[in-house]
Amino acid sequence: MDVIVCMKQIPDLQQIRIKDREPILDNVPLVWGDLDKNAIEEASKIKEAVEDVKVTVVALGSDKIEQGILEPLAMGADEAVLLTDPAFAGSDSMGTAKVLAKAIEKTGSYDLVILGEGSTDNYSGVVASALAELLNLPMISYVRELEVQDGKVKAVRNMEESFEVMEADLPALVTVAQEINEPRLPKFMAIRKAGAKPRHEWGPDDLGLAADEVGQNALSVETLSNLAPEQDRKNIILKGNLAEQIDALVDALTKEGVLGR
Amino acid sequence: MTEADEEKVEVVVVGAGLAGLSAAYVLAQAGVDTVVVERGDYPGAKNVTGGRIYMHPLRHYLPDLWDDAPLERHVTRETITMMAEGASTAITLDNDKFREEPYHSYTILRSNFDRWFGDKVAEAGGFVLPKYRADDVLVEDGRVVGIVMGEEDEIRADVVVAADGVLSLIAEKAGLRQAQQPKHFAVSAKEVIELPAKSIEERFNLGPGEGAAQLYFGTLTKGMLGGGFIYTNQDSISLGLVVGIESLMEREPKIEVHEILEDFKARPEIRNLVADGEIVEYSAHAIPEGGINAMPKLYSDGIVVIGEAAGLGLNMLITVRGMEFAVASGVMAAEAILKAREKGDYSADSLAHYEELLKDSFALQDLETFRHVLGFMENPRLFNFYPQAVCDIFTELMWIDEKPKPKISTTVIREGVGKFLNWSTIKDGLGMLRI
Amino acid sequence: MNVETKLGLDVFKIDKDAHIIIDQEICRSCEDKFCLYVCPGKLYSVNRETEEMEVECSGCLECGTCRIACIHGALDWNYARGGFGIQYRFG
Ligand SMILES: Cc1cc2nc3c(=O)[nH]c(=O)nc-3n(C[C@H](O)[C@H](O)[C@H](O)COP(=O)(O)OP(=O)(O)OC[C@H]3O[C@@H](n4cnc5c(N)ncnc54)[C@H](O)[C@@H]3O)c2cc1C
Ligand code: SF4
Ligand code: SF4
Repeated sequence: MDVIVCMKQIPDLQQIRIKDREPILDNVPLVWGDLDKNAIEEASKIKEAVEDVKVTVVALGSDKIEQGILEPLAMGADEAVLLTDPAFAGSDSMGTAKVLAKAIEKTGSYDLVILGEGSTDNYSGVVASALAELLNLPMISYVRELEVQDGKVKAVRNMEESFEVMEADLPALVTVAQEINEPRLPKFMAIRKAGAKPRHEWGPDDLGLAADEVGQNALSVETLSNLAPEQDRKNIILKGNLAEQIDALVDALTKEGVLGR
Repeated sequence: MTEADEEKVEVVVVGAGLAGLSAAYVLAQAGVDTVVVERGDYPGAKNVTGGRIYMHPLRHYLPDLWDDAPLERHVTRETITMMAEGASTAITLDNDKFREEPYHSYTILRSNFDRWFGDKVAEAGGFVLPKYRADDVLVEDGRVVGIVMGEEDEIRADVVVAADGVLSLIAEKAGLRQAQQPKHFAVSAKEVIELPAKSIEERFNLGPGEGAAQLYFGTLTKGMLGGGFIYTNQDSISLGLVVGIESLMEREPKIEVHEILEDFKARPEIRNLVADGEIVEYSAHAIPEGGINAMPKLYSDGIVVIGEAAGLGLNMLITVRGMEFAVASGVMAAEAILKAREKGDYSADSLAHYEELLKDSFALQDLETFRHVLGFMENPRLFNFYPQAVCDIFTELMWIDEKPKPKISTTVIREGVGKFLNWSTIKDGLGMLRI
Repeated sequence: MNVETKLGLDVFKIDKDAHIIIDQEICRSCEDKFCLYVCPGKLYSVNRETEEMEVECSGCLECGTCRIACIHGALDWNYARGGFGIQYRFG
C-alpha cells in the first residue's frame, strides 16, 4: 500500500517579528507545521501496523529543505519528493493543490493521502479539499482516529460536540487533527540513516506544468496586504491599592464601552 | 564499515557555540565523521555575547573562513568610562590602526553569527543536529564512549568534545569539573535596542560601517564587581551589564540585576544614546570569572573540554574575552583529535596533546598573565572610591563659579594627595602591579 | 520597562515539563533566599498560600545564575529540553 504525506515548510511563526505592522521574514527559520508532523506520524503508525506499506513524503519548501527533510524520513517515511523549485514559491492554495496533485500522480501509486488539517501559516484550509477534488478522491477531514483495513479507511472525526465515525474505500484522502497522535522524536541514528533514503527533486517540467501555471504566475487569489492589527495602546496606569485599582479599571473599561453596555 | 561502525560516529561535539563549531569545522574538513549536538532550535539560539570579536586570532586559527561572516560593525572607537554618582569621566581611544583592513575587531550578534557558522560546518561535511540536548556522557570501562540524549537515545563516538559553554554540565557529568562556586561567575543582562544605522552613526560619531565599543565601570554596579557595556551593531545597540554573582548575593540592601540595568540606562550619559530606540530582545547569561584558578580538567579518556566549558574566559574589568579563546581551543582540540585518530588512540595520554597546544598558545598564556585580575577586581574601591575620586578632581578643575579658582596644580595636589595617598590606595597600587 | 514586558519580547518555546525542580524541604529552612533576587528574569517567588518557592520556567533565560547562587543545593537544574525554552533572535 502506498501512503503519501504532504508537508510544507513554513516560517517559524514564533520567530516572526512585526515592524511597522509588516512581518519580518528575513532569517526566520523554516519548520514543519505541527499538523504536518501529526500527518507523518500517522503514516508511520500505519506502516508499523499494516504490512507492505510504503510512505512517501511530498514536501513543499525552499532550498533549505535538505536538513529539514531528514525529520520525516527519520520518523518513518521511505522516500521523499522535494518540490523546492523557486517557481513554486508564492503559490496560493489552488496552485499548491495543483502542484501536489501532479507530484502525487507522478509517484505512480497512491492509496492513502494524508495531510495536516490546514497549515499553520495562513489557515486557508482549502488545499486538502482542492487536492481531493483534483485527484478525484473521497475525503475525510478533522480525523482524530484512523484505521486502515481491507482496502478501507475508517476514521473518527472531531466535531464540536460529538465524534463522527466514517468509512471510505481506498484510495482516499484524510486530514488529521492534532489530537490524533503525539509525533515521535526521531532518534539520532534514524536521522543519520535518513540521509541515505531516496529523494527526488521535481520542478515544473517534471510535473508537466508550464511556467505560467505555477507559483506567483498562477494566482487565483491575490494577497493585497498582510498586516498585523494596529495596536492602539491607551497606556492607562492604575494607581492606589488593589481595591482602588479595580475600581479605576472598571471605570476605565466602562468609559471605553467595553463594560456595562 | 563494519556493523558496529554504522552505529557510531567518530566525534560528537556537544554545543554549537564558537568553540564547538570551530572544532567541528576543522574535523569535518579533514574528513572526520563529526556530529554537533545543539539544544537550541539553531546554532546561536541560546548564545549571548556582549558584542565584540577580535579577528586576528580568528584569522590565525581559521584562515579564509570569515569573508562572508555576518559581522556587524568594525570597531574604530574604544571608550572606557568611570562612573561616579552624578558624574562620569571617559577616556576615548581613536587610532587609525582601527580603520586599517583587515580590521582588528567587529561587533557581532550571536544568533546570526553562529547560525552562519553552523551552515559552514555543514558545508564542510559536518552534521549539525539542532533541537537535541545532551544529558550525560556514556561511560564504559571508565572511558567516555559517547553521549546520552533523553530517555532512550545516545550517540556513540570515539571522542566527545564538551563545548557546552559556561555551565558545562557535560564536563561536570564526566567528573572533570567541580560544582560551581558563585565567586567564579558573573551574571549579565543585556538588551538589544534597535535604532536606524544613521542615528547610531550620528550619536556615536562613526562613519558608515564603523562601530563603537564602550565599557563602563564604577558606581553603576553599586559597589559590586562588574561593569556595563555598549556595542554598536549595524542597526541596533547591544547594551548590558555584568555583575559578580557572589557580590550580588552578599550585597545589602538587596538589589536585582534588571534594576541595576534600568538605573544604568536612566543615566543621562546612556539615556541619550539609546533614546527612541526599540528594545527587541532581553537576554541573560553567566560569564566565567574564575580565570585559570577555576579551570576544570581539560581531557580524559575519550573526552576533551573546550571554550567556556573549559573556563577559557577573561574578565579584565574593561573587556570580557572569550570568543577568540573558544575558536582557538576548538581548533587545537581538533588538531589533537586528528593526531589521536592517526594513532587510533583516544586515551587521556593521547588527548593530552590538546593541553600542550593550549599551553603554548595565547589562550592559556593570557589566562596565566591575568591570573590576579579577579583578586584585584574584588576590591570594592575600584567600583566606588576611584571613579568618584577621579570625577571629583575633574569636576573641581572644570567647575567655574563666582569664587576665585585656585591654581590647577594646587587643585590636583590637594585633591589628589588627599584622595589617593593613603594606605589602602597604596596597597591597591601594589596589587595592580601584579596584574 | 519592567522585566515581564522585556521577557515578552523574547521567543520562548514552552515545554509542558519544568526544567528546574525545587526541593521545598531545603528552601523552607533557607534564610538567604538568593534565588529571589539573583534571577535576571525575576522568576522566583514564594507562593502566598502554600508558602512554597516557585519558579516560572516558561520565562527562563537559562542563564544558570540560580543554579550557581543556590549554594544550598535546592535546585535540580537543567537546560530546557532540546528545541524548547528561550530562542534568541539576536543573542
Ligand atoms: C554578556 C556577555 C558579554 C560578553 N562579551 C564578550 C566580548 O565582547 N568578547 C568576547 O570575546 N567574549 C565575550 N563574552 C564571552 C563569550 O560570549 C563566550 O566566551 C563565548 O560565547 C564562549 O563560546 P563557547 O562556544 O565556549 O560557548 P557558548 O557560546 O556558550 O556555546 C555553548 C553551546 O552549547 C550548547 N549546549 C550547552 N549545553 C548543551 C547540551 N547539554 N546539549 C546540547 N547543546 C548544549 C549551547 O546551547 C550553546 O550553543 C561575553 C559573554 C557574555 C555573556
Ligand atoms: S532555591 Fe536555594 S536560595 Fe532559593 S530559597 Fe531555596 S534554598 Fe534558598
Ligand atoms: S536560569 Fe537564570 S533566568 Fe532561569 S530561573 Fe535561573 S536565574 Fe532565572
